[in-house]
Amino acid sequence: MIATLRPGRERRFFGFVPLAWRNLLANKPRLLRSSGGIGFAVLLMLMQLGFERAFFNASLEVIRLLDGDILLQRASKYRFATKDPFPGRDLEAARAVPGVASAWPLYAAWHELFWRNPADGENFLVRVFAFDPDHPVLSLPELDANLKDLRDLDTAIVDRRARRFLGMDPPPPAAELNGSKIKIIGSFAFGPDFENDGTVVIGDRTFAKLLPNPLGGPLDVELGVIKLASGSNPIAVKQAITAAVPTDLAVLTKAQLLELERKFQADVSSAGPIFAMGTLVGFVVGMLISYQIIYTDLAEQQPQYATMKAMGYRTRYLVQVVLEQAILSALAGWIPAWLVSILLFRIVGAVALLPLHMTMELAFISLLLTLFMCLISAILAVRRVISTDPAEVF
Amino acid sequence: MRFALAWRILTYDKGRTALAVAGVFLAIVLVFVQLGFFIAVPQGGMLLYDRTRFDLLIASTSYEYQVQPGEFPLSRLDRAKTAPEVALAAPLYFGSAKWRSGEDGKAPDVFVIGLDPRDRIFASADINLQLSVLDRTNTVLVDSMTRSMFGPLTTGRTVEIDDDKVKIGGNYVLGTGFMGLGVILVSAQNFVHLFPYRQLDQINLGLIQLKPGVDPDHAAASLRALLGGDTRIFTRPELETHETAYWTTRTSVGLLFGSGLIISFIVGVMVVYQILATQVSRQLPQFATLKAVGYGDRFLNGTVIIMALLIVLAGFFPALAAALGVYAVIREETLLPVEMSGTRIAAVFVATLAMAAASALLSMSSLRRADPADLFG
Repeated sequence: MIATLRPGRERRFFGFVPLAWRNLLANKPRLLRSSGGIGFAVLLMLMQLGFERAFFNASLEVIRLLDGDILLQRASKYRFATKDPFPGRDLEAARAVPGVASAWPLYAAWHELFWRNPADGENFLVRVFAFDPDHPVLSLPELDANLKDLRDLDTAIVDRRARRFLGMDPPPPAAELNGSKIKIIGSFAFGPDFENDGTVVIGDRTFAKLLPNPLGGPLDVELGVIKLASGSNPIAVKQAITAAVPTDLAVLTKAQLLELERKFQADVSSAGPIFAMGTLVGFVVGMLISYQIIYTDLAEQQPQYATMKAMGYRTRYLVQVVLEQAILSALAGWIPAWLVSILLFRIVGAVALLPLHMTMELAFISLLLTLFMCLISAILAVRRVISTDPAEVF
Repeated sequence: MRFALAWRILTYDKGRTALAVAGVFLAIVLVFVQLGFFIAVPQGGMLLYDRTRFDLLIASTSYEYQVQPGEFPLSRLDRAKTAPEVALAAPLYFGSAKWRSGEDGKAPDVFVIGLDPRDRIFASADINLQLSVLDRTNTVLVDSMTRSMFGPLTTGRTVEIDDDKVKIGGNYVLGTGFMGLGVILVSAQNFVHLFPYRQLDQINLGLIQLKPGVDPDHAAASLRALLGGDTRIFTRPELETHETAYWTTRTSVGLLFGSGLIISFIVGVMVVYQILATQVSRQLPQFATLKAVGYGDRFLNGTVIIMALLIVLAGFFPALAAALGVYAVIREETLLPVEMSGTRIAAVFVATLAMAAASALLSMSSLRRADPADLFG
């Protein structure tokens, strides 16, 4: 057989010999070991990334529920979960602006209302949202069926996914809020975040009874939820609302409100750096493991590589095989880790009541990190192939 | 002999061994850090208690944790004062208000602690000396860890809290813990002025200092009898147990850092196992030779165990040093009392040994493949 001048090119014309693939499968126990090692590093990264996102998402979830295009709140309100209400007449001024289809209030309390668990008689702080049942401002489909009953005084809808010690799952027939008897007329699935253990939704009249305006008169509004008329120009209407309301109010799109909250959480909580560090450690450990694996493979296959070199295969082709093999190892580690993490997210999410979701973004980021980690270690290990001297093999 | 062989194998390929040690090092640092947070979070919740001087704490029966303590009548504290064991009974008032002088026109929530400035309750003499400033009307002391969004904390600055104008009388160093983004101290008189709906005779907590030589458990029992059923009395150890249980079971802290702890342990096992298994398979002919000349499985297994131990020990001590550095950074950033303790070092050391044992056990299966007959295959 006469060797072609540049055998590396041959495969493009005469069928593809999946050398990297065969190398990977050559030693099954080793494949198992390497995908186990890389997989655990990936799992560590996925868990840390998942926790970080759950942490931020848990506090953003409630803002996403708001059923409006534009939101009105006190300019001094520095985060969502703090009471800083404004007079209801300011919301009426916004409602009169042309282009506004509807503008309804959300009332809220984070630190004022205690829920008494009827099962054990203990009192716990809960987050309470209230609105006019004829004009709901939260888009939770499960709420809609119960809105009619919410018009009655002293009725409430509770969160089945609240922390278990609140005793909201299954919803009890009755409970107490700040010592006042409350009839439970339904439930929804929402979940706690890192500061709130559970959520209760009540009608505006019940809210006014529990937490009357300290100055007397109508309730102050926590958040104005504004919908635009179809066909109106959002930017122009937003400007018109800003002009119509006092300057101590902020007029925000939903995206702006989400951004404000995200920024607050990132500024004050140490969750970001904690989880970033865990991810980094996963990455470095993964790199060490994959370097170890690729290096050993290369050491074992050195005679084969030397033979190929002697046959005239170019270094470039050999390096390419090594990199292909690294990518395959990365996938062999990533795929099982990704599947296990879906399961773990389910279990941990259900136990800790955290919004741990495997998103496309998370899958993509972790895959990218895994490929990156394996390719770096392959590049570090590949020097061994480059230095292969065919003469040494014999 | 076993040790000598293990040492030889590890030093034969120094680069590979260094890699293993680096991997184990990282895994152990991660274990330390996760454990640090696991413990630091409850400690952050204990910050105020840890830095005040008292032997017993009186609270309402609806006490949940420090920031949600419930209320009870001041008269209970007055009655406690009559007990012969009690040297001092100091009331504490807690409230949350809007700091309306924040940056960018924002009004962050400030945690307000009301106290009697004559009660020297703080462990730090510096804070106790500053308390007399609080006797002036509408004057507050601000914790120096209060976040930057509150604006400058300079002494003499007038700020608006809810609807009142108050003057910053100075800064003190205690830490905000989980009380809030900002914490201020005020006198009880100024407290009820800030919170008009609160009365002086309804307090949140009572700190009891006992006379020298009095046994706290004994005093707690007699105070319980004296005060009756509508209050709860904690000794210091009881309080610590209560607060730690709150943070680790009621919040996601336990699960979050607990799962991080388990995963970092497993990563450590995987790293050591990877290295051992490769070493074993590379030295398989040599191991088979040893078997052929009469060394038993016990000897070979022992060698692998010693290799595992050497790797993790080499990783442990640098990891301990690095963790001390990381803890210092966390302390500085959060003012949480993250300190290295003897028990924590011992616990991580045991976990490290377990890491070595688990990975050695896993790689012994490859050792069983050492068959002298294969040598001449």
